[in-house]
Amino acid sequence: MFFIALFGLITAKNAIKTIVFTLVMQTAVIMFWLFLSGRTGTIPPIIYDPALLYDMAAIADPTPQALMLTAIIIGISVTAIKITMLNYLFRRYNTADWELMHKLSAQEEAENPYS
Amino acid sequence: MQIMEVILIIWIIAALVIIFESRVYRNIIYFGIFSLITSVCFLMLGSPDVAMAEAAIAVFATIFFIICIERYYGRKGHRAEIAPVSPRNGRWFTKIVLPLAFCAGLFALFVNFMPTGDASTYLKELYLTYFSVDVGGENAVAAILLGYRVYDTLFEALILVVAVVAVAHMSWLDRMAVDDGRHSEIENSSMAVFTMRIISPIILLFGTYLILNGHISAGGGFQGGVAIATFFICRYMIYDIYDISVKKVIKLEEYVFVFIVVIAVFAVFVGSKAFLAYTFDYFTDAFHDAYLIIMNVLIGLKVACGFFIIFYRYVAIERREDSPVEISQRHQDLGGDSNI
Repeated sequence: MFFIALFGLITAKNAIKTIVFTLVMQTAVIMFWLFLSGRTGTIPPIIYDPALLYDMAAIADPTPQALMLTAIIIGISVTAIKITMLNYLFRRYNTADWELMHKLSAQEEAENPYS
Repeated sequence: MQIMEVILIIWIIAALVIIFESRVYRNIIYFGIFSLITSVCFLMLGSPDVAMAEAAIAVFATIFFIICIERYYGRKGHRAEIAPVSPRNGRWFTKIVLPLAFCAGLFALFVNFMPTGDASTYLKELYLTYFSVDVGGENAVAAILLGYRVYDTLFEALILVVAVVAVAHMSWLDRMAVDDGRHSEIENSSMAVFTMRIISPIILLFGTYLILNGHISAGGGFQGGVAIATFFICRYMIYDIYDISVKKVIKLEEYVFVFIVVIAVFAVFVGSKAFLAYTFDYFTDAFHDAYLIIMNVLIGLKVACGFFIIFYRYVAIERREDSPVEISQRHQDLGGDSNI
């Protein structure tokens, strides 16, 4: 999954698609950690009854879940910043195509190199 | 075949669909669907907290993307739809085959070195056995987030504050938000407005429930805060106004963050077991629950403010039409007569 998204990231020509694929990669990493921590059908780590603790293998591991929650929040914060930067690029070059953007910026630099 | 495998196959197919879809709008909508499938997977793996957070992320990422690109691609996507990715002759090798080979090689390496044995369960047993004594509550994830790993949570809140400040100040315009209660230009479909009128109070109630019950059931400050921010977004969509001062919300968020830091540090230094045994001998459980609830409420408030600011910022500033001064400025930047 991660590598599918990486493939998409390399071949993407559009800036928006790049951001979407970084989100997909993040999701893949989170899924990997949760697969390490719990199998299908494990009960969530909400212990309302101490008797549940006798069957430790049936409970999902809470540690990766807490860490992944943190990772998700950081991911959406970073995405917000990325979209702001993308807006800047939109306003400046009026396109979302990486190649076109590159061409435009090179042209701009050639026209006045000391700006 | 088990149902989990079926869902996983659908998940991978959804990712492939995202990659091979070249139209931007559909790409974003497919990403929302993909996130919802992921959320179902998380739920089946026994982690409702992460599932809820993922669903919230799906909603907010989709909203942000669509607001961001709406100006540039037109409302129906007809203005400048990106052409399908069709590599020119002779370049398909470097465009497609090389990345594919690279990713396949990395995948082979990953499969080769993947850890196969069972993970250590020491930490899991430790946390699961002692969290109700050490931190309190019934939700182990909330206990770890707010008790054992509270510094992680502090820095995560710090990152959210930094993101909000960056979004508010890093935009193209230096001016602050438009605070004049101006009407927006969203064309409302009456059916959507009718539905949102019904749903939005339920969303607010649900968010409050998530925050206040975060320590004994699934949920918590982050998920509840996102739900409350969704309520404000619905309110904006229904009534077409932004009458809330963004500056005040930013101030509120910063104060709330300071409170979170103060309370967490206070609890870490003062709320140790030795201290509690002398002081709050009879009130330990109440103290623990109060700590968890207060932290959840503060985090929820902060997250709601943060997402609210980001949303308003995008809607109010980024979707505004350019004034003639800015357009001429941009043309000067591009070297005079360019008409790109």
